[in-house]
Formats: sequence, structure tokens, C-alpha cells
Amino acid sequence: MAGRPHTHLAFRLSGSLAGMDVVHAVVAAGHPVVRSVIDIACREAGVTVLAKVETASAAIEACRSRRPELLVLDLELPDADGFRVLSELDDVDRPAAVLVLSDHAEGDLVLRALRLGARGYVTKAEGLRDLSSTITRVLAGERVIAPGMEQDAVLALGRFARRAREGAEVAAHLTSREHQVLELLSDGHTMRQIATRLGISPRTVETHVAKVYRKLGVRTRVQAVSRAATLGLVEL
Amino acid sequence: MSGSSVNETKATRAIRRLGVVVVDPFPVVRAGLATTIEASPGLEVLAQASSAEEAIAVVGGVRRTRVVVLVAMGLAGDKDSYWLIRTLRERFPGYAILGLGANADPHVVSRALFVGADGFVDKNIELDEFLAAIKSAGNEEMVIAGPAAASVGKIAEGIERRRSVGLRLTRREREVLAVAAEGLTAREIAERLGVRERTVTTHLARIYGKLGVGNRLAALRMAARSGLVSIGPAE
Repeated sequence: MAGRPHTHLAFRLSGSLAGMDVVHAVVAAGHPVVRSVIDIACREAGVTVLAKVETASAAIEACRSRRPELLVLDLELPDADGFRVLSELDDVDRPAAVLVLSDHAEGDLVLRALRLGARGYVTKAEGLRDLSSTITRVLAGERVIAPGMEQDAVLALGRFARRAREGAEVAAHLTSREHQVLELLSDGHTMRQIATRLGISPRTVETHVAKVYRKLGVRTRVQAVSRAATLGLVEL
Repeated sequence: MSGSSVNETKATRAIRRLGVVVVDPFPVVRAGLATTIEASPGLEVLAQASSAEEAIAVVGGVRRTRVVVLVAMGLAGDKDSYWLIRTLRERFPGYAILGLGANADPHVVSRALFVGADGFVDKNIELDEFLAAIKSAGNEEMVIAGPAAASVGKIAEGIERRRSVGLRLTRREREVLAVAAEGLTAREIAERLGVRERTVTTHLARIYGKLGVGNRLAALRMAARSGLVSIGPAE
């Protein structure tokens, strides 16, 4: 390939597919040009492409029906983000090797991809030039993360751990009733509606709300909801 | 070692080395770590401890703003390494805490991070990497050094699992579960916690429901995997 060699941090992992006769791949990318670049890179790496798809739902379907060993997945798909593909596939249907391509070099995204079992994460801006060698390395069992993003993922892990800890701590201090009140608040119910729902007086609801605010360390409903969502106490 | 601050000038403070507290149950390992750290420019060992309680005491005596506490994961007993990390995190929120292990399992790393560690260093790395990791931790950076760095995704998954179990149980339910882990009957748990036996069985039933399990053993196994309770010797 013409491009300048591109250094990646790599770690040797078990699960090498290098010894296999033929490796089959599904390619999922929103843009036709990106799809054909991936297709060419796969062929250069000696990989047989079973299907080229444009959407997340088609990618899920293709992985389930064709059972490829490799999935090259663009995060930017028209119907849903690529993470959806990985989270919907169970362990049996998820290809052994997953290489993620993205427009964004953000630690949180890399961490999320790794959590969902991806073995490689490269950006489209940098990673498309030597994609075929990246594919070869991922198939050989290496973890390939674009330069600089490894440390970003570790930093994201630190933030994630802190939020998880704080969330569990706050949750442990909330009573079941306070938790219910918090969930109803997040759903946008008024104090009066919450009172009716729970069959208690509005005055009691106010007391619960005040306690929830104090435990979350906030003063307003918006702050409470956003803090609770950050800590994973409620889903928005 | 904490030095009086009365006649210190700003200049001497500015060049002060980063203080490290070393906690490891094995005297030889501790001495080796301390010597290595002392030999590194920019680092100084403020204190050493061989147990969790001793560690709390010596860290409490340190008068510094920036401190890195190295906690070996091998502390056993009631007050194990996880207990120590959690307690240090609560009492000294400004200090950096680094877990220290040997070929650590991602479970160990995620549990250490979940209870409050700012990073994890494996003993199985090069010396300069080890020292660099301590310095990064002193600069409030998250570090994962050594083999565990290849398992960032798995570590995050482990944290997520702990979080999801932790979010589901109230503090009282966790207490009940922790006592149940000692193998006590409902009556004995009730006596211990000063409540009625009926209350304990209600708590247990609610815990099983929340964790989606059918009996106490399954609940304990799940809680142990999530780091809520300890069963048997320390990891």
C-alpha cells in the first residue's frame, strides 16, 4: 500500500484466526465509498467478504445468518450506531473478530467498543490507509487500537469506575420509596402526579424529594435528573 | 518523615519529591519496592505498612497534599486490600491509590477500581514503567500498567456488573447479605443485626427477587462475583 506506515499499539491476544484456511467477513458501513474501501482491504488481506451492508439491522441479520469470523463495522450507520449491532448479537452470533471504524477518536467510544468485544478500533481518517494490514493483525489475535486512543480508553475507564462507585454509593443511601420518587421525577411527573401514583400526600412527596436532592447533592429537579442519569440511577 | 512546614520556603516545597506510601504484607517485597522508589529521582517513600490497619494509621500521619498509596492486593482477612482501598478513598479523597498485583485477573482489577483505586500496576512490568506509573498517578492520571492494560474492556464490564448489582440493593439488604455470607441462619442474622427473624427473611426474599435468583447460595455467589461480599480467602 502507498500510505506511510502507521504505528498502532498492539497486544497479543488469544484467539488467533491466522491458522484458518479462509476467513469470512461481513462489512457494515453507512457510506458506499467506505464500504468499498473495506471490501478491497479485506480482499488484500485474503478475506472472503460474504456480505456488504449499509444498516445496523442488516448487519445483525447478516451476522446471524452467515456466521462470519470477522465483522468490520462502521460506527456511523444510518439507522442506529454500530454499538447497537454488537449489543444485539449474543456471544454465539457475534463474530470472533470485530474491527470498529469510526469518525471519532474518543476514549469513551473506544472503551465502549472494547466492552462490547471489539478487538480493533481505528478512525476512518487515519485507519483506512493501512486497513488490510490492520485486518491481518486483528485476525492474528492482536488488539489494534489507534495511537493515543489506548490511554484515552484507560482515562475513560477511570471516569467510568468513579461514576459507578458514586452511583452505587448514592443508591445504597436511597430508600426504595426515594428511588421510586426519583424515577417518577425523571419521567417528568409533577409532585401532585407522583403523590397520586404512589397514593401518598403531596407533602410527603415533597419530603422525599428534598431528601433525594440532599443525597444527590443537588438543588433543582433538572440537576437531580441529570446527576441521577450520570450515576446510572435512572435511565433517560 | 512528614517534616515540619514552619520554616519551609515555597522554593523547597516546589522541588519536594512525590511522596509514596508502600503497603505490602511481605517484608522483602516491601523493602524492594521502597528501595526502588527511593532510588528514583522525584520520588520518596514516606512510610511503609504491612497491614490495612497499619496503612490507615501511617497514611493518617502523612502531611502532604500529593501522595500515592501503593496497595498490594495480597492483604488477607477481614480488612483486606479492597477494604483498605475503600477506606483510604473515603478518608483521604485527595490521595492517589494504586492497586498492585501480579498477573492480576481483570476481576481483581475491576474490583479494585470499583472500590476506589485510581489505577492498577502489575508487578510484572519493567522498572521504568513501574516508576512512570507512580508518577502518572501522582499527576492525577488514571493508569493501568502491565498485562491488565490489554483487558480494559473486560475490566469495564466487571465494573458494570458490580454497579448493576450494587444499584439494585439497599444498604440494609447489603448488610443482611454480608452477614448471610458468614453462613448464619436467619435467626442468627436477626440477632446480629438486632431485628426480628421475620424481617431478615423478608429482606432475603427481596434480595433474591432483585438479583433474580432462587436461593441464598446463588445470591451469595452473585454478590461475591460483584464484590459486594467476600467469601473465603482474599483474592
